[in-house]
Amino acid sequence: MKRVTRRDVLKYGSAAGLAAGLSGLPSIGQAADVLKVGAVYVSPVSEIGWTKQHSLGIEAIQEEFGDNVEVTVIDNIFRPQDAERVFRELAASGNHLIFGTSFSHGTPMQKVAPRFPKVAFEHCSGIKHLKNLGTFEAKYFEGCYVAGVLAGHVSKSAKIGFIGGFPIPDIVGPANALLRGAQSVNPDTTCNVIFLNSWFDPGKEKEAAKTLVSQGCDVICSMTDTATGVQVAGENDVWSVGYASDMANFGNGKHLTAFTLNWAPVYVQAAKDVAAGTWQSTERWQGLSDGVVRMSPFNADLPGEAVSAAQKAQDEIIAGTLHPFAGELKDQGGGVRVEAGGVLSDGDIRSFDWFVEGVIGNLG
Amino acid sequence: MELFISIFVATIVAATPLVFAALGELVVEKSGVLNLGIEGMMLVGAAFGVWAHFAGLSMPVALLTAVLSGAVVSLLFGVLALTFMTNQYAAGLALAIFGTGVSAFVGRGFGSTPVEAIQPLHFPVLSDIPVIGPMLFQFDPLVYFSFVMFALVTWFLYRTKAGLALRAIGESPDSAHAIGYPVIKIRYLAVMFGGAMAGLGGAYLSLVYTPLWVENMTAGRGWISLALVVFAAWRPLRVMIGAWLFGGMTILQLQGQAMGVSVPSEVLSALPYLATIVVLVLISQNRKAMALDFPVSLAQPFRPRG
Repeated sequence: MKRVTRRDVLKYGSAAGLAAGLSGLPSIGQAADVLKVGAVYVSPVSEIGWTKQHSLGIEAIQEEFGDNVEVTVIDNIFRPQDAERVFRELAASGNHLIFGTSFSHGTPMQKVAPRFPKVAFEHCSGIKHLKNLGTFEAKYFEGCYVAGVLAGHVSKSAKIGFIGGFPIPDIVGPANALLRGAQSVNPDTTCNVIFLNSWFDPGKEKEAAKTLVSQGCDVICSMTDTATGVQVAGENDVWSVGYASDMANFGNGKHLTAFTLNWAPVYVQAAKDVAAGTWQSTERWQGLSDGVVRMSPFNADLPGEAVSAAQKAQDEIIAGTLHPFAGELKDQGGGVRVEAGGVLSDGDIRSFDWFVEGVIGNLG
Repeated sequence: MELFISIFVATIVAATPLVFAALGELVVEKSGVLNLGIEGMMLVGAAFGVWAHFAGLSMPVALLTAVLSGAVVSLLFGVLALTFMTNQYAAGLALAIFGTGVSAFVGRGFGSTPVEAIQPLHFPVLSDIPVIGPMLFQFDPLVYFSFVMFALVTWFLYRTKAGLALRAIGESPDSAHAIGYPVIKIRYLAVMFGGAMAGLGGAYLSLVYTPLWVENMTAGRGWISLALVVFAAWRPLRVMIGAWLFGGMTILQLQGQAMGVSVPSEVLSALPYLATIVVLVLISQNRKAMALDFPVSLAQPFRPRG
């Protein structure tokens, strides 16, 4: 790893200034000798979960740039009205690159970004990008599909459960993929889905997980910001799938795997590009093949065939030969959405507002 | 039947943290003090409970630590509101924010480790009776304790002289002062009791219910407890009914979602709040009866004269 020296940054900085002058791209411009990076987290940085994974991205930048980076982190900002003020302050106080890490940061960032054309904004899970507002997002559904293959092997009741924070496409998609993975093993599998309408309510998540257990689900995947779902599954001796971070130590030996998020490459690349003056607003949507989504180690108690099937699914997704939403794909009502031979388009996946056949749940 | 039992059991357990916090606040408000800081005190209790647990203390001691921490942090409100006679709304809100921060600080580093939960009790014979056994005799000790506390609070408020004094202070601190009751001292005790109960409610979440520590893990239960006391028109039994109703509706809406009921999940999620408010407003319809239970001096600072 090449350490960026102060001189490098100066050099890139002035080049960037030139580039910015020429192209109007956001960059450090004014020969700043330290790259200033701001980040806004949606929840406190706990030891696991969504925000933790983002904080690892910021740490990766600090490791890469050493003394040549100055990081400002503001955590626990969820509401858009708070976020707008925070983003404006970060931009006004001279940060060159600012990360927003929640869907709810989208509107505030879209408001603030045009007023600070020289600042690069990066929005995770955003859908709208502007000249100086890039978006990045992970293909959670790929990891969820692989976990689903494991779930299909271990589920005896052929009923699996899914707990989501909010009924948004980025949660609906993974719920569908989990079931598709399980159905690739046992086509009769169904999936009960519950939305908490909160990212962060361990008590309610516990109740939701217990509800799923009481309805006969023997694999539970929870896409929220805590390990509660995994823990409740373990207590009730049913299998679980973790999300964002490896949650094996919460699972009482029943943690199948977790689809973890690794934002470090995205964060570091953005910082390098800004420092070099080559940053451009782009839309990134990366999954298993880019290393942004990774599977945590599979449970050692799993039968060999389950592990090899999941491994195979993972390899094929990376190779592009397997698509979790390949036809024939039917919706809840049995209507065919994708004919055999086709795959669901990226746009459709990113705007999922329907469940696949076999999901028991309602999107209203 | 099995589903019904599991819904019933889940309801009682989900209501337990609310019961503790709301019963505590009921006593506080009956003494004429409005402490809005329940959320903060619950979080402090939750965090200190976890802290004590990981410091190697036994579960009863960890719970006691949570109770004490709740009582101690409530003193912050007590000093501001009772000694310095500041605005009680502001002091309570300050406590809610302060408690959230303190709990986050205390709980640092505990977020990645599960807590070994208190196991449900198993009574010989009783727990094994079909239906009745799992419905009534397989809870953890704290659930039973919440019923004990309900009985104690009711008995204290309506059957003891001290409870009468406390209610008198809530009605008219001046009169109570005039006949020689130490108004400020009794209010301090009530506030500390409220803090202790909120701390216990928080610890129930972090040590028994969830059981793990996450920042902000009470997720608004302190505010719900506060609302329960008001909507229950300051009556202990109604507080209990409100808590169970809220817990029950929460469980039912989750069951409904998992069954695929064709109502949007957002609407279902709002149901517990709606149902609880509607029912408690309905049973508290009688204005005259309600006026009897309302502590008239609520939230008014008391300055002893003479």
